[in-house]
Amino acid sequence: MKIRKKLVLFIAILAAILFCVLLSLAWGSRSIPFAEIIDILTGKGGDSFNVDVVRTRIPRTIFGILAGAALGVSGALMQSITRNPIADPSILGVNTGASLFVVCGIAFFNINLPQQYIWFALVGGSLTSAFVYAVASIGGEGATPLKLALSGAAVSMAFGSLVSTVMLPKSNVMDDFRFWQVGSIGGAGWDDIKIIVPYLLFGFVIAICLVPSLNSLALGDEMATSLGVNTKLTRGLGALAGVLLCGATTALAGPIGFVGLMIPHFMRSLFGPDLKYIMPMSAFGGACLLVISDVMGRLAGSPGELEVGIVTAFLGAPVFIMVARKAKVKSL
Amino acid sequence: MNEHLLAAEGIVAGYDKKVIIDGIDLVIPSNKISVIIGANGCGKSTLLKTFARLIKPTSGDIVLDGKQISSYPSKSLAQKLGLLPQSPVVPEGITVFDLICRGRFPYRTMMKGMNKADFEAVEEAMEIMGITELANRSVDELSGGQRQRVWIALALAQQTDILLLDEPTTFLDIAYQVEILDLLTKLNQERGTTIVMVLHDINLSARYADYLFAVAKGELIVQGTPQEIISSELMKEVFSLDCQVIEDPVAGSPLIVPIGKYHQAT
Repeated sequence: MKIRKKLVLFIAILAAILFCVLLSLAWGSRSIPFAEIIDILTGKGGDSFNVDVVRTRIPRTIFGILAGAALGVSGALMQSITRNPIADPSILGVNTGASLFVVCGIAFFNINLPQQYIWFALVGGSLTSAFVYAVASIGGEGATPLKLALSGAAVSMAFGSLVSTVMLPKSNVMDDFRFWQVGSIGGAGWDDIKIIVPYLLFGFVIAICLVPSLNSLALGDEMATSLGVNTKLTRGLGALAGVLLCGATTALAGPIGFVGLMIPHFMRSLFGPDLKYIMPMSAFGGACLLVISDVMGRLAGSPGELEVGIVTAFLGAPVFIMVARKAKVKSL
Repeated sequence: MNEHLLAAEGIVAGYDKKVIIDGIDLVIPSNKISVIIGANGCGKSTLLKTFARLIKPTSGDIVLDGKQISSYPSKSLAQKLGLLPQSPVVPEGITVFDLICRGRFPYRTMMKGMNKADFEAVEEAMEIMGITELANRSVDELSGGQRQRVWIALALAQQTDILLLDEPTTFLDIAYQVEILDLLTKLNQERGTTIVMVLHDINLSARYADYLFAVAKGELIVQGTPQEIISSELMKEVFSLDCQVIEDPVAGSPLIVPIGKYHQAT
């Protein structure tokens, strides 16, 4: 594909993000006209109640951008290191594993600081994804897309009900912590952003540095080794970055599925198989998808809200089925 | 034309606890075409894979120019020694040009794009393999023979003096097999590339190889030029096959004619 076409697509995606951000600031239980948002953002003032509404929507939107980017890149990493088009943090159980560990931490170890949530989530996410991948690898022919999806679904379901089991007796906190069952970015504030940024930054940097090695890994392990790639190290770092991005996000927003599945797949169809494009574009695309899904959740659940995790699941399920059907014929 | 000394010294290798290669010593002739022959499961692919450091020998060493290959930094070894595996993976939708560019990985430094030398290497590789006009085609659409030429071009772009190939003709029809082996011969003659490959077809091996290694049950049975070693006794020993050996009327190399159950030797 020609560079110019890629550039046009890139600009279109940036424009889409900008548009989603505007919608995210404007729409919700109280809708504010675009003109007034521009006035508020540029400091010209506006209706004082509207100013407050926009002020609370700004961190939520920024968090949405960060979380979406993290989930998109995490998906691109997972698909690359497993060479499996169906691999996604939610399929590999990183989301539910992270959730379960945080909920257990809250219930049994009385953790209550976001930093603690993140570390519990990272441990839970890595252990669970390793477990799912190991289960899928049992038997001949290794972790095929279908087996990975099955083992991931089984583990996710089991862990999901464990999350409910742990939370049910604590009905008083249940409403506050409902996002551990279905991810939501509704409560995100500036503090959350400050906490999560270092983890995500670290993850993004590793992801970008791995791009050439992952491109070689796409040719098969033997070819990659012959080209001088340390396949074990590449996989290890890729998994670390993937879990870091997805786990940190889950720690603060709960399990949000399918972003990491849909976005890299979509970007691959637009930009071709070179991770040099897929990796950064998955970040932009993920940001776009998560913010718009959040807006849709606000509108669909009006006057309340539908959690963003429900919206992404609605959007992602058909894509998942499509990819799984195609993957039966051809693996990455 | 650079000369290299590539040798196996007392190699024992296998998967898990099963020993497949049981003590092999050999020296690969520099700037020649060598072919490893043997029956299915005799360990010839495993032997090639230990040379390509895909399998770490449980004892013994693969030595390149006096140093163990495990002591080379992986990228600098990848500039000397290339491998075309039996079934590499084609990323969906990749173009011929982009795929061959990935052969330049050993020369890439962090965060830098392709430079002039990289593009020249890729273009030269496409030219040698006669696939320049396919550059913008998607690899998925190509025929088996064209695809194999693309993979060899990727290995060429890697610019190694030694090229290992694991059954490069297996999935190809006879015309493509000859075409690929002709191209490898051209590569050997024009660039002096040392070629080591595993082949199934004894007659093509005898014709194209300068040197043969016959492997059976994890051990090296015999080595030498095709004229020296191909005989009905060797075929019996290595393949448990009764055959007659005649002269290839085209190349003058030994040609084996299997006998089988239902036909008589005259």
